[in-house]
Amino acid sequence: MNIEDNYLKNKKNIFFSENKDIQTHREKLINIFKDDRFDKKNNESLKNINLKNFIDFKYKYLIPEETSVINNNQENCYSIVSVNGQCSSFKDDKIEITKIIDEDYNDFSKNDTIEKNDHFVNLNSLFLNSGFKIVIKKNNNIKIKISNIITDDDLTIFQKNSYICEEGSSLNLIEEYENKNNSSSNILNVIKLEKNSQLNHFLIQDNSPNHNLIITTHSSCKKGSTYTQKVYNFSEGYVRNFHYSELIEANSEADLQGIFFLKDNNTSNNKTFVKHLAEDCKSNQVYKGILNDRSKATYFSNTHVDQVAQKTEGYQLSKGILLSDNASYFSKPELKIYADDVKCSHGSTIGPIDENAIFYLRSRGMSKIAATKILISSFINEELSSIDNEQMSEIIQKKLIRYLSKVK
Amino acid sequence: MNSETLNTLNSYSKNKYKYGFVTEIDDEKPKKGLNEDTIKFISLKKKEPEWMLAWRLKAYSKWKKMKEPKWANLSFPEIDYQDIYYYSAPKGFEKKPKDLSEVDPKLIETYNKLGIPLEEQKVLSGVAVDVVFDSVSVATTYKGELEKLGIIFCSIGEAIQKHPNLIKKYLGSVIPPGDHSFSALNSAVFTDGSFVYIPEGVKCPMELSTYFRINAENTGQFERTLIIADKGSYVSYLEGCTAPKRDDNQLHAANVELIALEDAEIKYSTVQNWYPGDEDGKGGIYNFVTKRGLCAGKNSKISWTQVETGSAITWKYPSCILKGDNSIGEFYSVAITNNFQQADTGTKMTHIGKNTKSKIISKGISLGKSQNTYRGEVSFLRKADKARNYTQCDSLLVGNQCGAHTVPYIDSKNNTAVIEHEASTSKINEDQLYYCRQRGLSHEEAVSLIVNGFCKQVLQELPMEFAVEAQKLVSISLEGSVG
Repeated sequence: MNIEDNYLKNKKNIFFSENKDIQTHREKLINIFKDDRFDKKNNESLKNINLKNFIDFKYKYLIPEETSVINNNQENCYSIVSVNGQCSSFKDDKIEITKIIDEDYNDFSKNDTIEKNDHFVNLNSLFLNSGFKIVIKKNNNIKIKISNIITDDDLTIFQKNSYICEEGSSLNLIEEYENKNNSSSNILNVIKLEKNSQLNHFLIQDNSPNHNLIITTHSSCKKGSTYTQKVYNFSEGYVRNFHYSELIEANSEADLQGIFFLKDNNTSNNKTFVKHLAEDCKSNQVYKGILNDRSKATYFSNTHVDQVAQKTEGYQLSKGILLSDNASYFSKPELKIYADDVKCSHGSTIGPIDENAIFYLRSRGMSKIAATKILISSFINEELSSIDNEQMSEIIQKKLIRYLSKVK
Repeated sequence: MNSETLNTLNSYSKNKYKYGFVTEIDDEKPKKGLNEDTIKFISLKKKEPEWMLAWRLKAYSKWKKMKEPKWANLSFPEIDYQDIYYYSAPKGFEKKPKDLSEVDPKLIETYNKLGIPLEEQKVLSGVAVDVVFDSVSVATTYKGELEKLGIIFCSIGEAIQKHPNLIKKYLGSVIPPGDHSFSALNSAVFTDGSFVYIPEGVKCPMELSTYFRINAENTGQFERTLIIADKGSYVSYLEGCTAPKRDDNQLHAANVELIALEDAEIKYSTVQNWYPGDEDGKGGIYNFVTKRGLCAGKNSKISWTQVETGSAITWKYPSCILKGDNSIGEFYSVAITNNFQQADTGTKMTHIGKNTKSKIISKGISLGKSQNTYRGEVSFLRKADKARNYTQCDSLLVGNQCGAHTVPYIDSKNNTAVIEHEASTSKINEDQLYYCRQRGLSHEEAVSLIVNGFCKQVLQELPMEFAVEAQKLVSISLEGSVG
């Protein structure tokens, strides 16, 4: 079924179908799909993907029967269970959770940083069927853990979430994606950080082989705010992590990090994009990947420094280890610089595990497999040891051990 | 930024192009525009055999179906291919002069203005110069000496007539005419260029050199260069360019093919200083060049060195296909852009054979309102066991209206291959400037010194004859640009 028919057939289940402006916007999107010839070579969002699965899909959505649970068991700690992308409303003096409404739609869709020909973001706008909005109130310091649950097989979740950190607030956000059924989620998060606010965003992804996860984040940082994102991808199914960050006022910072562990026939596409639009901002983009068997990965990183963004510091690093003959890794670290007083650099390496290091360990009586495992652990140790949340660190260690047990 | 820096920058950006003069020589042209008749005219003028004309026409039919590649970070008005002369040869050159005394004295004068006294160069530097003035080879020196060794160094036109077997075998083997629209265009209408063949086991005793010059107005120069290094041979080839000042944009789409067989080595150096347009971005050469080398045999090596200071638009990616086991590809580049110049340049290293190695050093310097992009691709194919790449690209920004961009594509499909890439972008270090000024250098001198130091890694790869010229060129580009 083509996209237009699919959309028209399921229109009644899709959010904001009655709103005329949104309607016109969606018609435009449908036309993009009609005109586009899906140029895999030049469209970053399409590389290594089996397009048919995503363009020619069966739409299915269930409004959750069990309502989501919001617990406030400890002070300043909230745990949320989001079911099929939805979350019930909640309000206290620190946070407010609501459903997304028509007016939020523009925040999601009229965004210049996210590429116009990103078909997945366009699909998300077209078939939107879930989402929530969380506001952290002024000068509060809280922790939120969100578990994303999908109740049935073959569901297609198209979700838009909005996070707003008000002035001086600080949020530790842990998101878990651990789905064992054959569904697919397409999520767009829009994050706004007001003056002097801070957000530490952890994403743990560990889905079963038939679950597809497409996650796109757009964050914008105002004066003195800091956005830190750490992505841990242990999924056995396809995952796409595209994360955009805009530094719109002075002294703001963005730090986008990720590690992915791939095996079998799995594919992962990753992208980070930082746009420096103001003076004295800092950014950092670090992605590391370990690829085994016939897995494939791409990583696009991009630092854009506007003409006014003097005194910028922007760093990128991409590292990949190929464990097998059939794995492949594509990396494109891009710098676009229009200001002169900047310090920007990027580095990228791809290679096998250092043979000399293996030799050293083996000469001390270690088996080859044990040596390989130790070296993989040390490759990502810097990122793991920087996690200051004990519970998180434990979860990730366990998953790492599980991945390593399959390495031969 | 202090006022002094601004003054210096302004003085740079006002520096006039020193080589802007036009030599008045009558020339013969076909009608403007590109069609089959133009191609037949060129082929006839060059007295080419039938198969060559057929080859050209085939390329032309491919070109008609193609569009210009659009992915580069460049903006320029649409090129009107029907508004260009595709052939221009100074009159009376159909009979080649035997020595310099038979050459039009005006031509000799032109070279003297450029600072290449042909006669002197012959004696002093021992360089055999094959000068291309517009489209016809004018004088070739040291030919006899090369002939003794069995080296063929002549214009491509001559090679088509005298060595058809080599041409048939290798022309278009590295850059197929249908590769992209500029290669198809060149294949259809190329007029002249150099042909070099180094026989088995011969080390070419001198640097082979060509000076290209675009002279007649509105003449796109489409040269085609083909260099073949047979087993165990070595050759170093120099190419340098300056063009007189023009207001109309001139199109230049050259193709350069290198083939290195087993144990052979080719070193190809370019200094490009074509008219970059004036300070308002008017005029200048459009330079769309395809350069590609094939390391066909085991242990072969191809090394590209380029200093790019001219042209309004530079679109150039000298690349290496590392097919033979243990072959080596190198790329050293300095690209300086000023005023409204745009450069999108880099390289492509394709590792196919085992133990292949490549090294990329690229230095970009942007001044004025220019845009300078490094675009490079390194790919390891499945069978490229133990292949190795190292890439370093640094950019220097002078002034706050220019842009410096780095777009590397890195693709690895082999788990024993190692690839390293690093890049940095910054402005001229204030501490270094302060240090130089404290020791009595003027601001301009200090900037020039620092920039020359920044480029040193690349400049030292140039052969002696070029290194001096290149250093001067860097200073001149800065002088009018950074000084």
